[in-house]
Amino acid sequence: MVYAVFAPLIFAILIPFLSRIKQRIHTGWLILPVPLLIFIYFLQFVGANFETKMQSTTWIPTLNISLDFYLDGLSLLFALLISGIGTLVVLYSIYYLNKEEQLGHFYTYLYIFMASMLGVVLSDNVFVLYTFWEFTSLSSFLLIGYWHHREKSRYGALKSMLITVLGGFSLLGGLILLTIETGTTSIREMVAMTDVIINSEYFIAILIFLLLGAFTKSAQFPFHIWLPDAMEAPTPVSAYLHSATMVKAGIYLMARFSPIFNEVPLFFILLSIFGLVTLAWASYMAVRQTDLKGILAFSTISQLGMIMAMLGFGTTYGVFAAVFHILNHATFKGSLFMVAGIVDHETGTRDIRRLGGLMTFMPISATLAVFGTFSMAGVPLPFLNGFYSKEMFFQSSLGLEGSGTFVEGLITAIPIIAVVGSIFTFIYSMYLFFGTFRGGYKEDQLPTKPHEAPIMMLVPPAILVLGVIVIGLFPNIFNNALITHSADAIYGDTVTKDIKYWHGLDSRAFQMSLAVVVLGVVLYLTKDKWSKIYSVLPGSLSLNRVYDWIVEKIESVSNKITTSYMTGSLRLYMMLILTAIILMTAGTLLYSGGMNFNTVDLAPITAQEVIVAIVMAIAAIGTTVARNRIAAILILGVVGYGLAILFVMYSAPDLALTQLIVETVTVVLFLLCFYHLPNLSSEGQSVAKTGSNILVSIGYGLLMFVIGISAYNSRFAETISSYFMENTYEEGGGHNAVNVILVDFRGIDTLFEVAVLFGAALGIYAMIKLRSNKGAK
Amino acid sequence: MNNLAILPIILPILASVIVAFFPGKLNIVRPLSKIFMVVFLGVMLFITFKVYSDGMIVLQGGGWDAPFGISLVLDYLSIILVLTTYVIATAAVFYAPHSLSDQQEKFYFYTFFFLLISGVSGAFITGDLFNLFVFFEVLLMASYGLIVLGNGKAQLRESLKYVLINLFSSMLFVTTVAFIYSLVGTVNMAHIAERVDSIPAEDQGIVTVIGILLFFVFAVKAAIFPLYYWLPNSYVVPNPVVSALFGALLTKVGIYSIFRVFTLIFVHDTGVTHQLFIWLAMLTMIFGVIGALSTNNVKLIITYNIIPAIGFILMGIGLFNEDGLSGSIYYLMHDMVIKAALFLLIGALIVAAGTKDLSQMSGVIQRFPLLGWLFFIGSLVLAGIPPFSGFIGKLLLLRGALDQGEILLTVVALLSSLLILLSMIRIFIRGFWGEKMEGMTTNPSKVHALTIPATFLISISIYLGVGAETVLPYIDQISSYLLERTEYISSVLKG
Repeated sequence: MVYAVFAPLIFAILIPFLSRIKQRIHTGWLILPVPLLIFIYFLQFVGANFETKMQSTTWIPTLNISLDFYLDGLSLLFALLISGIGTLVVLYSIYYLNKEEQLGHFYTYLYIFMASMLGVVLSDNVFVLYTFWEFTSLSSFLLIGYWHHREKSRYGALKSMLITVLGGFSLLGGLILLTIETGTTSIREMVAMTDVIINSEYFIAILIFLLLGAFTKSAQFPFHIWLPDAMEAPTPVSAYLHSATMVKAGIYLMARFSPIFNEVPLFFILLSIFGLVTLAWASYMAVRQTDLKGILAFSTISQLGMIMAMLGFGTTYGVFAAVFHILNHATFKGSLFMVAGIVDHETGTRDIRRLGGLMTFMPISATLAVFGTFSMAGVPLPFLNGFYSKEMFFQSSLGLEGSGTFVEGLITAIPIIAVVGSIFTFIYSMYLFFGTFRGGYKEDQLPTKPHEAPIMMLVPPAILVLGVIVIGLFPNIFNNALITHSADAIYGDTVTKDIKYWHGLDSRAFQMSLAVVVLGVVLYLTKDKWSKIYSVLPGSLSLNRVYDWIVEKIESVSNKITTSYMTGSLRLYMMLILTAIILMTAGTLLYSGGMNFNTVDLAPITAQEVIVAIVMAIAAIGTTVARNRIAAILILGVVGYGLAILFVMYSAPDLALTQLIVETVTVVLFLLCFYHLPNLSSEGQSVAKTGSNILVSIGYGLLMFVIGISAYNSRFAETISSYFMENTYEEGGGHNAVNVILVDFRGIDTLFEVAVLFGAALGIYAMIKLRSNKGAK
Repeated sequence: MNNLAILPIILPILASVIVAFFPGKLNIVRPLSKIFMVVFLGVMLFITFKVYSDGMIVLQGGGWDAPFGISLVLDYLSIILVLTTYVIATAAVFYAPHSLSDQQEKFYFYTFFFLLISGVSGAFITGDLFNLFVFFEVLLMASYGLIVLGNGKAQLRESLKYVLINLFSSMLFVTTVAFIYSLVGTVNMAHIAERVDSIPAEDQGIVTVIGILLFFVFAVKAAIFPLYYWLPNSYVVPNPVVSALFGALLTKVGIYSIFRVFTLIFVHDTGVTHQLFIWLAMLTMIFGVIGALSTNNVKLIITYNIIPAIGFILMGIGLFNEDGLSGSIYYLMHDMVIKAALFLLIGALIVAAGTKDLSQMSGVIQRFPLLGWLFFIGSLVLAGIPPFSGFIGKLLLLRGALDQGEILLTVVALLSSLLILLSMIRIFIRGFWGEKMEGMTTNPSKVHALTIPATFLISISIYLGVGAETVLPYIDQISSYLLERTEYISSVLKG
């Protein structure tokens, strides 16, 4: 199995090299055997006596991440779909994309996707699953953006990525919570610990995180909006990723975890509500579309909603029907996408308003489409698999049990919504077929003259249609070998079902089907009369607009916020920084009780000290209000000399000397520089601004003062300075403790301060030199 | 063998001085610098190996035992960051000649470059709070030299703000060190930690306050909300190779210092300090990513993306559990590499497209596919998509967060990741995709030369993700060692 997952990945890496020889053969042919072999490999497991299989390879054991591939009925069904439809899609794409396209890119993305999707359905380790999950989103992004010179492709690619990766991140959150609660990263072990999860205090969070992941991926309302725009991808991609496989990853996830959530009412409520709303809304919206692929996209969304709802019902019947429909949907929808691609390819347009009467030109395609659309509509004919799953859907929507007014109300509403959704499904199916292949032929509106597609292009959809018919004729054909195992895996215990064509006239499900057909026909024929309703609902209430608004706003609001404070004004920055420091430090000071303000321990203050301090304070304030640079620097000098006097008073003559020299040199240097500078200009600030500046300055000063005193009063240990005094002469060989500290005890400090000077000197030299060089030029 | 501890700081200082003797002779300085860097990198690899096989190395400067002299400490954490620094510097030294003009190189680029490496490494390995201040000065002085390199008007304007705000923080630093000295009478970090431990719980209040003050000192350098205003513009104006060094190293020194002191010294009132970090981490992520989405200047987008990454690292410190700390360290390491890589790539993109303005770019990937795909992978790495390096750190961080029931923090972190991805993928979609633009460079070989060092760094990022198992056990070792604290304290003070 490991090889099955990684083979496409390895080929994906090789493809760029393989595609160099595309002059002779279409790259598709070279790599077609890969999915085919995988399909055959998985086919061998199909059978009544299927047994689960597990293969492990370690990867990051420290994080409990290992490549555990686990094959059970559910994974097998998906693996077969992925490799089987993958084979057909690659075959189809050989004729769909011609050699001038960048085939290397196309197949690389496609095979990355194939590997990732197989990885998703086979991984037992949640983080490996997550890794592959993100890679399906990314490969989908690249495939939608395949024709990236088109604006719409880029738009669709970004949209799909944002929405699915949003879900992916949410899924990650849920998975981490699950691993924390259960202490394992294996899904099977989690299932075994259902009680722990359900009783966890984070249960709701887990559920919501996971649902968000599943709903975004499987395009459930209101996250479905990315799927129609994903139709910008080449049609083989739409058939493969955006109908048969990737969009079912969310379904898969829910199915995989449903043994855990099955008994939880909230799971039932959320899944069935979102599923049914998606079903109804998307089928309603599909009727409005004019692009063939647009119709199919909404149709896919609505069918996904239906499967989601059935999983939510959580009954044996519902689960079985869901699995059955996953298979059926893949067959008829895959074939319909391929036919839509053929129509596009051979007529040059997918706009259904310009199409019509193609039956005569493309009889084979039309035949394939009949089966596909009628099966999708659930027309009660015994050779259409869609009918069976539709019946089973109705059947499963009936007879649900639950308690509580809300749940009971929901249970009553479910069959009604199911019927409404199905009516619209019927309408768009008819619309799709009759609008394209029947009616008047509009020669003048078609870019090219239509003709039937090459035979090899028709083979893949034909094979899928064959599947539709075979399952239709023998609905139980795969039950024991495949579907039951799948349903088993989801439901957690053995599910056996026998699918019957005829339930009798008094069967409620049959009556519902009948109602759908009758109302569907009536509404389809009168479509022109009632289609005005779309200007009322959704009217201007479009979710796409919400998305566009958000994306647009993210940029403009970000810009507004950022430019509001990133003004380039140093004054503002300092103001904000100081305010933050004052607020948070003062807050901590009060909260943690660190204030230790008293003057008991302080040395007595002499009059001289007070005078010097006052002079310094006045000078410091004076600097800020001076209008002239020279005056400012001279006043600042007073502060420096005042400090020197303080040093003298506290018997530190060497420091005082140093301070005097530094101060003098600085003042002189400043004066020299100022000669070249313009005069200070008045800032012309408002009073309020000046006031708040003063406030912040005082606040900061006060804060430092209080902390300083408090720190002084809270001496918890003797300083280490006595060591220096004692050892300066003995060990350091010098008489001046300060000197010995500088050059010996803490010599590294000094060495690197010298390095700082070295850097400063070179920096200034470089600046001046570079400038004079520029001047010379 | 203790003397090994001086090598990470003394080797680059020597190199710095040596290359200063040949300012104009680029044909000597360039190969010499490359040789130096490669050799140094080898030495650091050797030292890392030694530390992990034989335990941490402590050098008591000048033979004066702690706490009286200055201790240089190569512990599991600092050596790994030193090694990462040298990896990035090696990539940068190969990138520089293609990115800088001859004149910029001549004006002591390599001297400042080595000085910066020395300052950064020193900040990582010093065990002395005041000495940390000195190394901050060294790296700041080197960065002043690098930022004004080329002497453009914008550079001078932005460097002034940069210098002033950093001076302010240095001043606050010295003040805070004085406060600490007043409390416990020592500046050796292990010694401070030991003495703070013995302060009775009811008297810890003032320690917490001073801790917060020290946090702000580092927070200014680390660019944590709301103190990062100096960062965006001063990182945008210099040459990409300088931005890469700044983005990868400078803010990381700040966050490392927070890491060090808040796992070693100020651990007694985590309800106040570390809870504050969690809130600030969230705000840092949000505002950083908002900044990244606010502009069309591709380099500014990368620059703003430094900020949310700091938020992620701070988040782990705030969580203060084993997963959180491991996550922070992994994220720190990963972010150093990927930020450098992205700045280098953006430099190449700007050369390729001939503009910084995203709205004027398109279709660059058609001429430079390698650059495009590296950038794409880089974006995924940055957003924390598996199996790349960002994911490992993020996974650990989120696990640490959810373990403590921090749902809001998790949601903020996840949403920020999404927006980080959006900010990056915008560049990919608008700049690399689309119709081939007019006015692309006429000198593609230059772009290729710029792409190679970035390839090296991106490969490391991929390796740190896919091959996480080869690194992760060591990181876990670090975090349990940090939480334990005693090994550090006793190793430094054993003399």
